Amino acid sequence: MPIEAVAMLFAWMLVIVFLALIACMFEDLESDTGSQSNPNSQVQLAAQVGQVHRFFNKAISGEAPAYAMYCTTAGVIAYVLLLKEIHPILAIPIGAAVGEVFHVIFATTAHIGRTAGSKRFEQPLYLDVLYGHLLPIATHGFMAVLCIVSIAYIQSNLGTLSGYLPVDGVTPLDHPFALPMLAFIWGITVGAIGSSTGDIHYGTEREFQDRPFGEGKRVVYHGKITRYADCGIRTQKDIVGFCAKYGGPCTGMTFGTIILFENWRTLVGMMLGRFLPAATGFSDIAAMLGIVIGLVIGIALIFGNVAFVKWARKRYGPFVGE
Amino acid sequence: MGEEEEKKPKAEFKFPPDETGLGIISAVIAVIIVILPGLPAVLKAVGVIFALLWGADSVRKTSKYGLGTGVPSIGVLGMGYGIVGALLGIAFVKFMGPKLGTFSSVAALGGVLLMGVLGYISGVFSNHEKIIAMKIPKLERGMMELGMAGTLAMLLEFSIVAGSLNFADVVDKAINTGLIALMFVLSMMAMFHPYNACLGPDERRPRTLMSSVEISGLLCLILGIVLVATATSLWSGVSLIIFSAIVWIVFYVKFVKACMRESDSVVGTGLIKTIE
Repeated sequence: MPIEAVAMLFAWMLVIVFLALIACMFEDLESDTGSQSNPNSQVQLAAQVGQVHRFFNKAISGEAPAYAMYCTTAGVIAYVLLLKEIHPILAIPIGAAVGEVFHVIFATTAHIGRTAGSKRFEQPLYLDVLYGHLLPIATHGFMAVLCIVSIAYIQSNLGTLSGYLPVDGVTPLDHPFALPMLAFIWGITVGAIGSSTGDIHYGTEREFQDRPFGEGKRVVYHGKITRYADCGIRTQKDIVGFCAKYGGPCTGMTFGTIILFENWRTLVGMMLGRFLPAATGFSDIAAMLGIVIGLVIGIALIFGNVAFVKWARKRYGPFVGE
Repeated sequence: MGEEEEKKPKAEFKFPPDETGLGIISAVIAVIIVILPGLPAVLKAVGVIFALLWGADSVRKTSKYGLGTGVPSIGVLGMGYGIVGALLGIAFVKFMGPKLGTFSSVAALGGVLLMGVLGYISGVFSNHEKIIAMKIPKLERGMMELGMAGTLAMLLEFSIVAGSLNFADVVDKAINTGLIALMFVLSMMAMFHPYNACLGPDERRPRTLMSSVEISGLLCLILGIVLVATATSLWSGVSLIIFSAIVWIVFYVKFVKACMRESDSVVGTGLIKTIE
């Protein structure tokens, strides 16, 4: 029994990793649909320098607090439904749907509020832009929030799902935090990773694509990327299609890799420290082994990155800005 | 009762009091509701709405000089003060409660005052030439009000969910269930989202504040759903849901209409203006 439980534990960890990958990929694509974090400065600036555009200005906040909000709302609703003994397969999607209703409400107020706030720059409020972007925002966001709430559900019941039996009324390895709190923490994380790793489109793929290694651009040209696409007027629907190829999956892979290494090292450390099959008597050795494995992984990644960047510079030319 | 309470802010939005007036009105209403934890959840929701309105006004006041991406941070800071202050407040209630008897909730105001002082000190530190020297006008007052408004809002939300300001009840019903995360995140949204969403040279104060009331309505709606699911009396949750749904619908429609009326033009579709 204990060995099967450990195998199940690793299996659930891989499920969490996969869900994290999907969540962060859709999170990044959603932030491209609504132009939330980094690109938002361009969208906001464009009208002010006279570049009237047809972009959706979803200025809710940074991605991290915004995703914390949708995921926590979804988590609370799912938690309440689970308390009423509704099956998780229904409770989690209903929660995510409510989270997305909140998302759409906030997106609407942000877009029309900012448009009304920049009246003197003659930026009209295009109703087709407003209505046309709400559904893509809601659907992409739904996928991200659904995956995050699922992760929170799995984590808060991890021991039970892996087949551990309760000891003194507490199942070992079930997370001590309640589902909404886990959804909050995971929401902040997914937003932060999506914000820092994402925005590939604005950072390197489009705005600076004529410059080697993304040199800075003069302020006069700011906001220009919001106006015309390769064919016709640009909207964010083009950008999502563009980013779905590399930017989104790349962001998802980053988040998935972080979760994979993090959980893997913890579980392996617990196994080497003799904590895992029995799940009783957690020792400092188990924690220390996990930390040592984490340090080894970190150092290996640093060396790998340095080698990769060196190879890329040799292959694609020097960094002109230096 | 719901409708009656809801007319009051509406009238104020047409002729909103100035910043000081709104602060005093909101503080008085919120403080009265905090020290009477036996009131129905609907009245506590009114207190939450006023406290968050005050917070949103303070965020606006603090960030008006031209803070762009920092607006959300100010709101998060305000609710950070709020969480610390509210936990201190319920701890004060626990220790001072036996001495004060039936008015034990008055002790929670100690947390509010402490956060006001702490906010003022951090404002002074941020503006002082020898320390951080940010030199933001009115920062001291803004930070002080943020701390007090955040703490009042958080205390009222605890009081809605737990039914009282009893330390054990609050820990059991608001913190162990993870609801504190929801309160934190939606209250900070109610504080910073209005000014962040309306940011721009043509921002108008009544319009911005409408958005705050709308988000507070959403927050109370979720708290009402939680109350229905967990509390013993169904009526308090249902009345809270009805009241907050009405508040949300009224202010959302008003906000959307105001924005559409005040934007440059509202067009179904159209091409962008060409630039030579």
